[in-house]
Amino acid sequence: MRRFRWALIAIVLLVAVMLAIELGTIPLSPAEAWNALFDRGPSDAITVVQVLRLPRVVLAALIGAGLALSGAALQGSMRNPLAEPYLLGVSGGAAVGAVLAVSLGLAATLVPLAAFAGAILAVVVAFFVAHAAGSRGDPRILLMAGVVVGAFANSVIMLVLGTAPSATVRDAIWWMMGSVAAATWAQSAWLAAYLLIGGGALFAWAREIDVLGLGDDAAAALGVDPERSARRVYVAASLLAAATVAAAGLVGFVGLVVPHIVRGMGVSRHRALLAGSALVGAALVVLADLAARTLRPPTELPLGAVTAIVGVPFFLARLRRLT
Amino acid sequence: MLLARWPLRTFLPREWMSVLRLLIAVPVDLRRYAAASALVAIAACGERAAPSPPGGVAVRDDFGRVVRIAAPPTRIVSLNPSTTELLFAIGAGAKVVGRTEYDQWPDSARLVPSVGPGMRPNLEAVLQRRPDLVILYASGADRVTADRLTAAGVAVVALRNDHISDFGRVTMILGRLLGDTVRARTVVDSVTTTLDRVRRATAPLPKPTVFIHAWEKPLITIGGGSFMSELVTIAGARNIYDSLSAPSPSVTLEDVVRRDPRYVLVSPIERDHLLATDRWKSLSAVREGRVLAYDTNLVARPSVKLGEAAVSLARLLHPGLELAR
Repeated sequence: MRRFRWALIAIVLLVAVMLAIELGTIPLSPAEAWNALFDRGPSDAITVVQVLRLPRVVLAALIGAGLALSGAALQGSMRNPLAEPYLLGVSGGAAVGAVLAVSLGLAATLVPLAAFAGAILAVVVAFFVAHAAGSRGDPRILLMAGVVVGAFANSVIMLVLGTAPSATVRDAIWWMMGSVAAATWAQSAWLAAYLLIGGGALFAWAREIDVLGLGDDAAAALGVDPERSARRVYVAASLLAAATVAAAGLVGFVGLVVPHIVRGMGVSRHRALLAGSALVGAALVVLADLAARTLRPPTELPLGAVTAIVGVPFFLARLRRLT
Repeated sequence: MLLARWPLRTFLPREWMSVLRLLIAVPVDLRRYAAASALVAIAACGERAAPSPPGGVAVRDDFGRVVRIAAPPTRIVSLNPSTTELLFAIGAGAKVVGRTEYDQWPDSARLVPSVGPGMRPNLEAVLQRRPDLVILYASGADRVTADRLTAAGVAVVALRNDHISDFGRVTMILGRLLGDTVRARTVVDSVTTTLDRVRRATAPLPKPTVFIHAWEKPLITIGGGSFMSELVTIAGARNIYDSLSAPSPSVTLEDVVRRDPRYVLVSPIERDHLLATDRWKSLSAVREGRVLAYDTNLVARPSVKLGEAAVSLARLLHPGLELAR
């Protein structure tokens, strides 16, 4: 398994993408779907593949990659297997931003921006709360600050939604359950840019994350400033997560579970772990979206719930091996 | 449970008790259907004793409870936009002393003080209006509200008007409660006549398929469980999702494309968005401009506007339609 793990990851992602392009409520043969990708065959099939399915698949893959990268980097730099972007207040902040924008009646195009701003704000607040508590980069205090900010954000959401008209509630819940049903190429392009910048930065710091795992003293001895290093990983990881939330709302569980799955395959160095997580995360969300739109036709299930259902068995298998 | 809670025997005339016992004895499934006819009997007793019936009026509401009112109510709080509109239509608008903030129809309803949102209503705000009758929507969540208001000594009638067939029943219950079934009957007759007129006019026409766009994110349509789907049928078309029992299911765009509806019905504000979105252009109805904006003021509520709503939908779906007077 170890020797072939990269081949396995690549095959899983490839198969996930092929299945997601091939399957849907409109039946297409594999050959038809394949031809439609390259503008060949009947125009109906081309529309289904290129307009209805491909944008969803691409956005789902980018969301999965971004969340998993973010989770892998945070778990490493914080030395905590529970660390993940949503635990740091990113999700709560983004949801508050989106809910406020919706209930203030802002234009639909501004809602993702508000979500992004909310996520960044929550991360900054969590960071300053931890700093004010004198954390000096102590990841445990940073995590606790994130949890507190997240809880605060949740209560703000409930206050707003408790008195909001049903239309606002519906829009807001759509955000909190996550979806790539409205995927556009523009969203994917933006998210890809964030992935390149944020993911690239995390890759560049992968060695430092490895060293952070040895403990602060050892890291300092090896010439790494643990506080500064953890801080910039934190910023890059939350930026990535915030960008995914702005594009598709809250897609839970991916940031937490994917790094564990990849570690379970025997990957421990962070350069490899980050790359593996990005690919497995992409595959997981592509499969989850496929399930969301095909399991109970003609209805669509909420993506955020399906990712958890798809991810839990892997997580349980990994837990069993740990204990 | 019903029997245990009722000291009804103490204040109901003997002949009523036999009717009630009958209602309770009928098996649950049958009771729903039997209720209507049995109620006619009850109401007939009340009407015969008019103008001021000594025993008051008893109605069976949609929680299955029999609510008994000694005298016609004078202070009503209505927590459902369509019942508020109905009360005004049957001439009881002056008796409405409270509504929810979503009850905007007719215009004069806005002059009535609002007691806040309709879901999870603030009980103290409701009681502050000193109502002698509260009318609410018979949802599971409202059951607790109903019980607590009853415990506070206020008569509560829970009504469910999801389908067009509920309209007549609900209107007549309101009429009986207010001691004026003549006016209620007029409203029911005028709506029923209009609906029949539309039905007859569209009967010989071809029935195009329709996708009803109710919400964009998430994509929500209207299923067969909603009066809106029935309106589309009356207006001479077929809702592509009329086989789904949920009133407002979330569906995938791909499935809509697969069913390839002839028309898309959408609210006026969403129409331009649909026509300008690439995703939506995979639908032939959008590509070819067969996107119809419905009148949200008429079609959104199962109320006195049902007739007008059917007319406007029929004219939208069958341009040039002749409606006999």
